Amino acid sequence: MQIAFYSLMPKEDTMIRHYTSVIIALGLALLFSVTPQLTNAADPIKLGAPLSTAFLYGWDAERGIKLAVEEINAAGGVDVGGEKRPFSVEVIDTRDLEPGVPVDDAIKAVEKLILQKEVDFLVGGPVRSEAALAVLDLLNKHKKVSIVTTGVLSPAYHKTIAENYDKYKYAFRISNEIVNIIVKEMMPVFEKFRADFGLERVHIMVQDVAHARKSGEVVDKFLTKAGFTVVSHDIYPTGNTDFAPGLLKSRRENADVLFIFMDMPETAILLKQWKSFKLKSLPFGFMSAAEQPDFWEASKGAAEYAVVDMINGGNAPAEITPWTMKFVNAYKKMWNKEPEGYGTSSSYMAVYALKDAIERAGTLESDKVVTALENIDLMGVYGRIRFDKKSHQVIPSTDPNEGAITGMIQWQDGKRVTFWPAAGAVGELMLPPWAKE
Amino acid sequence: MFYDILVYGFIQSAALILMAFGFSLVYGVSRLPNFAHGAIYVFTGFIAWALFNTVGLPYWLSVLLSILASGGIGVLIYYVILRRVRGMEVSEVIATYAIGLVFLEGLRYAGFRGGTYTLPVASDGVSFIFDVPVDHQRVLLMILGFAMVALIWLLTKYTRMGRALKGMAQDERAAMMLGIDSDATAAVAVALGSMLAGVAALIIFPLGSLVVEEGYKVLIYAIAVCVVGGLGSWAGTVIAAFVLGYSQYMTVAYGKPHFQMVVMLLAIIATLIVRPSGFFGKQKQLEERV
Repeated sequence: MQIAFYSLMPKEDTMIRHYTSVIIALGLALLFSVTPQLTNAADPIKLGAPLSTAFLYGWDAERGIKLAVEEINAAGGVDVGGEKRPFSVEVIDTRDLEPGVPVDDAIKAVEKLILQKEVDFLVGGPVRSEAALAVLDLLNKHKKVSIVTTGVLSPAYHKTIAENYDKYKYAFRISNEIVNIIVKEMMPVFEKFRADFGLERVHIMVQDVAHARKSGEVVDKFLTKAGFTVVSHDIYPTGNTDFAPGLLKSRRENADVLFIFMDMPETAILLKQWKSFKLKSLPFGFMSAAEQPDFWEASKGAAEYAVVDMINGGNAPAEITPWTMKFVNAYKKMWNKEPEGYGTSSSYMAVYALKDAIERAGTLESDKVVTALENIDLMGVYGRIRFDKKSHQVIPSTDPNEGAITGMIQWQDGKRVTFWPAAGAVGELMLPPWAKE
Repeated sequence: MFYDILVYGFIQSAALILMAFGFSLVYGVSRLPNFAHGAIYVFTGFIAWALFNTVGLPYWLSVLLSILASGGIGVLIYYVILRRVRGMEVSEVIATYAIGLVFLEGLRYAGFRGGTYTLPVASDGVSFIFDVPVDHQRVLLMILGFAMVALIWLLTKYTRMGRALKGMAQDERAAMMLGIDSDATAAVAVALGSMLAGVAALIIFPLGSLVVEEGYKVLIYAIAVCVVGGLGSWAGTVIAAFVLGYSQYMTVAYGKPHFQMVVMLLAIIATLIVRPSGFFGKQKQLEERV
């Protein structure tokens, strides 16, 4: 019947049908031959990323993780005991950077990733130190390896792990922590301000959140000890929209440096007011708003001369290792902008660190991956990645051959110019012209 | 120091008036606690941003259209949702708060996050008032804050619509007996309140950046000012804004900046204990509120 039907069809139709069948068959054959290379038929290794996605430290981390996953999968995936497996990512919004959101919400989000999404590993947050500390017990309960990459600056995190190693050995931190940042990185920059420009009088302005308050206290203590004068030390509520009182105080007290430690977007208001008042003091510190490449346009240049600690190198263009600019360019290609701020390079590196550890462990078994991570020695985007075996804190340094290094940038003519440490520097520190008058 | 407090306390008070006046107006006329007030504030800012940056309209036109849009949103909210729950206080609060959540969380969901969305300032310059530097956007804030109050006062005093609003604020039933359309007037009040929230947003947002979370803060500030001043009392709103604005500034100047929010909360608690109806609020009494 079929043959009879075909024989009744016009010759062209039969030809078209024939070629169509051949093309479909070839297409299917091509698809099946290519699929294993592109997507890996093996089960993916699920990464759970608990992040406060409405904030810079959440979304830039998500982008860093996705970039690394895409690169690794495109290169064939992760070799798990001889089997190539791709990574997949499950992102959940912990909202822990938002004011008023209880820590409990972040715990529930992580628990959802573990129990409902059945992730194999955790990468990213929670982002607030309080939430990350609260999640430690959960990691122990489910024996899930987690690498914290963004936020979580508190020294309590790695100290807690060191003091309760058997309980909290599944937790690692691949980004810098605040005491090291202040003592080994910010203080040398203060010394540079003094040596290069004679800046000695400091006004401390910090946000009313645990890590910022603590940082303000530590900076105050170290500055005083080093012979600087702290002219004032103010704490601002999250969401503060007028910094005039503090800035006018700076003007009265002839402050040379405004030390700012804030992760709220309202820091943009502070810098705009600083610029419009033409204060002689140089803004320096941890300012999430001023980390982003878009901030120049958004602030209409108000960020000019602001000195910003990016916490880890590679969050802005720098020449730290051959991988740094490769990462910067890959990020730019995928997301149409330069790496945006704290959490970008470290989240990207965490995925590579995990890949390296899984491949050396040859299994996804948590205890073996923990041991592999403890023995990692990987030259990454911001230097050599190694973890302290007891506290699981990434080993920091100012030399990329020894450890993970930071990146201090200054906004100059619309660009984020890394000037410290020397190992990653691409430019020199400058003072605003009106500060020299 | 004295002049710092004088000038910036005044600016802070004007900002509070701008944030709270729309909320007070809506409650005064229609007895609707518009908990979507903060969301409309933020949404208007983003409409102006989109018209200016995405559509490419001139800024003045973007501002004008976004204010009109906020009024339109107010009318829509009233006729589609609020009219059905009017008079049921708990439902009003839940409905308006839910509308606010839809706007704010919708913006977040659509990707409007972070601090890189900004509106241009009227002028980059700085003026010195009693030798205190004040940027021109804040000067504009002071002027417009009070111009807006004056405009609303003139509206209620000399226009037919304004008198209808005033009548509704005094006694809705009596106003209806005199032929005033209760729904239409309440819709006008919600539209005006939304437009005032929009104007506030377009004056205040250029000082920093468009941040979705500001919606929640503006709502808290508006409630604090209105509770202290007396819910629905316009004069109370202005006076409470001054009391709270200067209290906040003095807290920053003589105390610690992070106690600013405590001032707001303490003021609400103290008002509820000492005089629950606020400075000028006369709850459950048939007295003039406007």
